[in-house]
Amino acid sequence: MKRNPVTIFIGGFLLLIFILLLFLFQVRTTEVAVVTTFGKVSHTAEAGPHFRWPWPVQSVHKFDHRIHSFESKFEQVLTADGNSLLVAVYVGWKINDPTVFLTRFNGDVEKAQASLEGLIRNAYSGVVGNHPFGHFISTDAKELKFVEIEAEMQTRIQADCRALTNGLNIAFLGIKRLGLPESVTKLVFERMQSEREVKVSQIQGEGTTQSSGIRTRADYESSKLLAEADAQATRVLGEGEKEAARSFEVFKQEPELAIFLLKLKALDQFLQSRSTLILDENTAPLDLFKSPKAPAPAK
Amino acid sequence: MSDPHHPHLHPHPHSDEEHAADSARGALKSGDSGSPTPPDESFEDAGSQALADALRSSFAIVKVLMGVLVVVFLLSGFFKVEPQEKAVILRFGRPVDNARLLEPGAHWAFPPPIDEVVRIPIGQIHTVNSSVGWFPVNALGEPLEAEPLPGQGLAPVRDGYLLSGDGNILHLVATLRYRIAEPGLRYLLDFANASNLVMNAFNNALLYAAARYSVDDILTRDQAGFREMARARLQELIERHDLGIMVDQIDNLRVLPPRQLKFAFDQVLEAEVRRSKEINDAKTYENQTLSQARAEAEARKNTAATERTRLVEFVAAEVERFTNNLPAFHTNPELFQQQRKAEVFANVFANAKETVVAPQRGPGSSRTILLQIDRDPPKPKAPEAPKAADHH
Repeated sequence: MKRNPVTIFIGGFLLLIFILLLFLFQVRTTEVAVVTTFGKVSHTAEAGPHFRWPWPVQSVHKFDHRIHSFESKFEQVLTADGNSLLVAVYVGWKINDPTVFLTRFNGDVEKAQASLEGLIRNAYSGVVGNHPFGHFISTDAKELKFVEIEAEMQTRIQADCRALTNGLNIAFLGIKRLGLPESVTKLVFERMQSEREVKVSQIQGEGTTQSSGIRTRADYESSKLLAEADAQATRVLGEGEKEAARSFEVFKQEPELAIFLLKLKALDQFLQSRSTLILDENTAPLDLFKSPKAPAPAK
Repeated sequence: MSDPHHPHLHPHPHSDEEHAADSARGALKSGDSGSPTPPDESFEDAGSQALADALRSSFAIVKVLMGVLVVVFLLSGFFKVEPQEKAVILRFGRPVDNARLLEPGAHWAFPPPIDEVVRIPIGQIHTVNSSVGWFPVNALGEPLEAEPLPGQGLAPVRDGYLLSGDGNILHLVATLRYRIAEPGLRYLLDFANASNLVMNAFNNALLYAAARYSVDDILTRDQAGFREMARARLQELIERHDLGIMVDQIDNLRVLPPRQLKFAFDQVLEAEVRRSKEINDAKTYENQTLSQARAEAEARKNTAATERTRLVEFVAAEVERFTNNLPAFHTNPELFQQQRKAEVFANVFANAKETVVAPQRGPGSSRTILLQIDRDPPKPKAPEAPKAADHH
């Protein structure tokens, strides 16, 4: 039977795929690979397709090339001014040199993180121990050295990684938690308690001061209003009197009559109610009772 | 498939199918046993013929199937990008076209293992809670443990809390909602555990903001400022760590003083309530006093105005009276006066309740007191002279 070209093509194609599978490997963009020849590192491979000799000549070790997140334990550190502080940090690290990573940690992320943990602990005593407590928490922005401490720790751990040539790179570092030893929290609570008490009395004092201020001001304002009203009343009355005084000019024609009339009116008004009169006998109509000087037959 | 109706289609019995045909002969023999015995040669021919036909048609079917498979294989490269997402194709593990983002819609890529489609949920909102500032709670958000007693400390590992700038302790929890910022490859491909890193950056932001503010500011006075600072810090961290996300919002912010000090903090709140009550009372007093004073002042002014009018009118009336009486007075002043006096006195005596006349002490005369008494409330007008005489 003659060879069918389609059959040959398909056979060749399948053979090609088989060979490609055997001689090629691909590295995802999130990975990095180390190629070893007879167990000895020969080169590394970045993302993309790569050539290899099939097993048992070469083998490929792929590692996660992404940034890993590692959180340190919550550890107690003495600050420069002798306070105990609990610190935990988170670290973003990645494999910088996959060859070293393979040889040092056997490609194990756990082992790498254990090593990192040690470096972080060194950085705690080396960096945190150089700063007083006030650099970690402070309402004063100038005193607070939070960001600087993070940067120092990162620099230090990065330098340690380089010195150890452990193939790791610190992408970033941040403080995750700050805390105090349990016994210290009790003391803090006591202080907070007394602060609250001070605050209560302060608030009470403010209340009293402000309210009495308001009351005093109210009293002052009201008496001022009344005084002004009185002043105005007096002025109005004065004007009235002044106006009346002009009318008095008329009385000058016969002051005697004017006085007499006013007296009469006053007397009339003043005795209109049911009052008690005490008079002597010389008073006008009663003088009629007087006998000794007047002739008796008068009555 | 074995088709015995076309025995005349005689294939070459010596093709490469011959071998297979030989081995199948036995089976065909038994199948054709009921037919009249043909010559041996022709029987064999027919059998291998049938077998060859069968194989050829099977082969054709396999070819069709393979063709279908190839088509299916190529069609399996089609995929859909949903409206809320974008996608990137990795070819042999590497982003193609400089990591060009594929818009929502239908697209095609080589099937695996050549291409890999990475979907980027651009529109989706991710949520993380801060994890360091709160006491342990169950799934419903209720505290796991009983209320701590006053005077009990906080265990560093078990109890979460934050330190405020003035060295105090408080509990705080918040929720961060964020979205993946375009192009999104950084978030999806560069971090082993991106949401965990976002959570830690968020923790750090809250920690930092708390370290800057005093406990009272965070609890009540300036929570907005605290939130703003946490947000600014988070933004800074996102840029520094290059997390490739956008903050949507920080919400669900809950702040508590340590539960051990609940009573003390409540007392401060109570004192604040009392203070505002006291001040409100004072303001009420102020309003009342001032409005009373205003009314009183107004009344006094009105009284003065009335008084003034009265005075002016009184004087005017007096003037008129004077003018009217003036001619009579000029005629005989003495008589005029006596006459008027008498009129007034009559009136006065009529209205008086009691009248006492105390005579002047003359030599040798005993003092006589004349009383005119009228105790009856409605006083009748009584003539006085006779009464006085009676007393006498």
